[in-house]
Amino acid sequence: MSQVTGAQSLVNSLEAAGVDVMFGIPGGAILPAYDPIFDSKIRHILVRHEQGAGHAATGYAQVTGRVGVCIATSGPGATNLVTPLADAAMDSVPMVAITGQVPSLAIGTDAFQEADIRGITMPFAKHNYLITDPADIPRAIAEAFHIASTGRPGPVLVDIAKDALQKMTDFKYPTSVNLKGYQPRLEPNAQAIADAAALITQSSKPIFYVGGGVIKADAHRELLEIANLLGAPVVTTLMARGAFPDSHPLHLGMPGMHGTVAAVTALQKADLLITLGARFDDRVTGKLSTFAQNAKVIHCDVDPAEIHKNRFADVPVIGDLKHTLQALIPELRAALKKHQPDLSEWLRQMNSLKSSYPLGYDQPADGSLSPQYVIERLGKISGPDTIFTSGVGQHQMWAAQFISYENPRTWLNSGGLGTMGYAVPAAMGAKVGAPDTTVWAIDGDGCFQMTNQELVTCALNNIPVKIAIINNESLGMVRQWQTLFYEGRYSNTSLDSKRVPNFPMLAEAMGCVGLSCERPEDVDATIEKAMSINDQPVVVDFRVHRDAMVWPMVAAGTSNDDIMIARETAPDWDSQEL
Amino acid sequence: MAQHTLEVLVENSPGVLARVAGLFSRRAYNIERLTVGPTANPEVSQMDIVVSVEGHALEQVIAQLDKLINVISIKEIKQESAPEVHDTQPDYQN
Ligand SMILES: Cc1ncc(C[n+]2csc(CCOP(=O)(O)OP(=O)(O)O)c2C)c(N)n1
Ligand SMILES: [Mg+2]
Repeated sequence: MSQVTGAQSLVNSLEAAGVDVMFGIPGGAILPAYDPIFDSKIRHILVRHEQGAGHAATGYAQVTGRVGVCIATSGPGATNLVTPLADAAMDSVPMVAITGQVPSLAIGTDAFQEADIRGITMPFAKHNYLITDPADIPRAIAEAFHIASTGRPGPVLVDIAKDALQKMTDFKYPTSVNLKGYQPRLEPNAQAIADAAALITQSSKPIFYVGGGVIKADAHRELLEIANLLGAPVVTTLMARGAFPDSHPLHLGMPGMHGTVAAVTALQKADLLITLGARFDDRVTGKLSTFAQNAKVIHCDVDPAEIHKNRFADVPVIGDLKHTLQALIPELRAALKKHQPDLSEWLRQMNSLKSSYPLGYDQPADGSLSPQYVIERLGKISGPDTIFTSGVGQHQMWAAQFISYENPRTWLNSGGLGTMGYAVPAAMGAKVGAPDTTVWAIDGDGCFQMTNQELVTCALNNIPVKIAIINNESLGMVRQWQTLFYEGRYSNTSLDSKRVPNFPMLAEAMGCVGLSCERPEDVDATIEKAMSINDQPVVVDFRVHRDAMVWPMVAAGTSNDDIMIARETAPDWDSQEL
Repeated sequence: MAQHTLEVLVENSPGVLARVAGLFSRRAYNIERLTVGPTANPEVSQMDIVVSVEGHALEQVIAQLDKLINVISIKEIKQESAPEVHDTQPDYQN
């Protein structure tokens, strides 16, 4: 067998793992790897900041279902990946990050650009490696891809000392991976499936509480089938938007802090939560001790550690959700033949809530642009095949609320970590993964100023994403909390971004088309103009009024029963028979 | 709070102690005692961990420990009775 460098072995391994694209920036410690990358068939996209590489890898992974790959040098290159790695961990995104490390003999000496990235990422990475022997590279890469993409997906970091990249080694890619301590259970227990079906038929107020796991497991078809079979209402969390069609009559919308009255209340009033790939996050449950107090819980998840973590599960079902639903559907069909519960009263009540409290917003009295209107029009004009990404803040919540998602993998956001700056690089990665699909990033003026540099990458690499900046000249979500909880004392939330920066000019400077819109009557034409440009990235500065707020809202730490539909306005519970 | 003793077999790889200790610290589990020693197999080490937790929290500790890739198996050592074995995939429990 002919000998190759560790660097060549790394690139061969990435090719063998099926990598077709990676996002990164070179530097001293990783430089040996960039030489064989030059000749590789893997497309390397040179980003402008490693954070952009990380979120791009996530965007790519979320759209394609494949492992996203990013690569950086030691020290600051690696630490710049920390945020996207933590983000990917929170949202269970399959990702492999490759970092260069200082030479093995220098490790521990505070060498130039030394940072213990394995130690730094240990608390949240699904796993990580420090490789100092070139012979270990192929196995580490094979294991990293296996771990990242199986079970509950997550980010894996492979840190490789520079000398391991330089030394000669034999390249042999393992044909299989066998990890003693890692054998995710994919097949659900038959007794658990039987118990789940039995519990469902005993319930008169069941609800499907659907999380992002359904999308990860590609189980949306099975979800549709079981929802139709039982005829019970469905809610989709922020991470699950698109897992179940918004247009479906059983869909009550998104639950949680900014969920619909119907979705939030349905969880509260249900007698059974059929939990699919969701994790009882505090943004969904509100004050945990008051969450769905009368409900029993079926908890289906591939991660055993989610069971009983925040909420006790009466019937835990550990397994891949697709396998779980494929087993549960026939079991439930048989059980329903023996006993069909009458859900009509439950559905009538929830549908009444749904029609009494649809999502809505007021048009600003001064005729200025409403952010919700802009986002609603974007959804309507661009249509359900579009991929939307978002930043974090008010615009994110409105994008989750006012766009109809009909398909999985069309809504990408930073749900768990809440990472401002996610939208632009995630859109870049999404567009690379789905080049024939329209990709719109709905971004805040604050978020956009964190990661817009990746538009240069997009312009130079023929990645024509579209960005809608919802410019309310403020850190709007924080400002909303100041309005509600700090007597309107707006400490450090004004961005002045209708004055500086000039977003269209900034866009033009980065090789994009820059557009601007501030009148309601121009919204449709501006969106259509942006839609007509497909050979360049487009940035639209939507200059919206700053006082719009996200409603409904369950204030942090309070009970879902205290949901507000507007300031100091609770739903009119007396008029609802619940 | 009740004390539980866990006998944890781990791959003898660098950083494994940091992974286990870090997990306990991050998730705010109380470690009363932790000892590490070799086993007959040079690739496997044994950690004996004494934790103070109640009820389902013990299942959580075990499930989270199990998620560490380098953790091979976890056994709870009961004082009086026979050890209760938790393999890497906890069995279905109702
Ligand atoms: C990296 C990071 N820093 C700070 C925050 C806290 N934060 C949450 S939303 C928000 C405001 C976002 O402003 P903008 O992007 O303009 O969105 P808007 O709420 O105005 O729509 C801030 C500062 C965060 N989520 N992420
Ligand atoms: Mg803003």
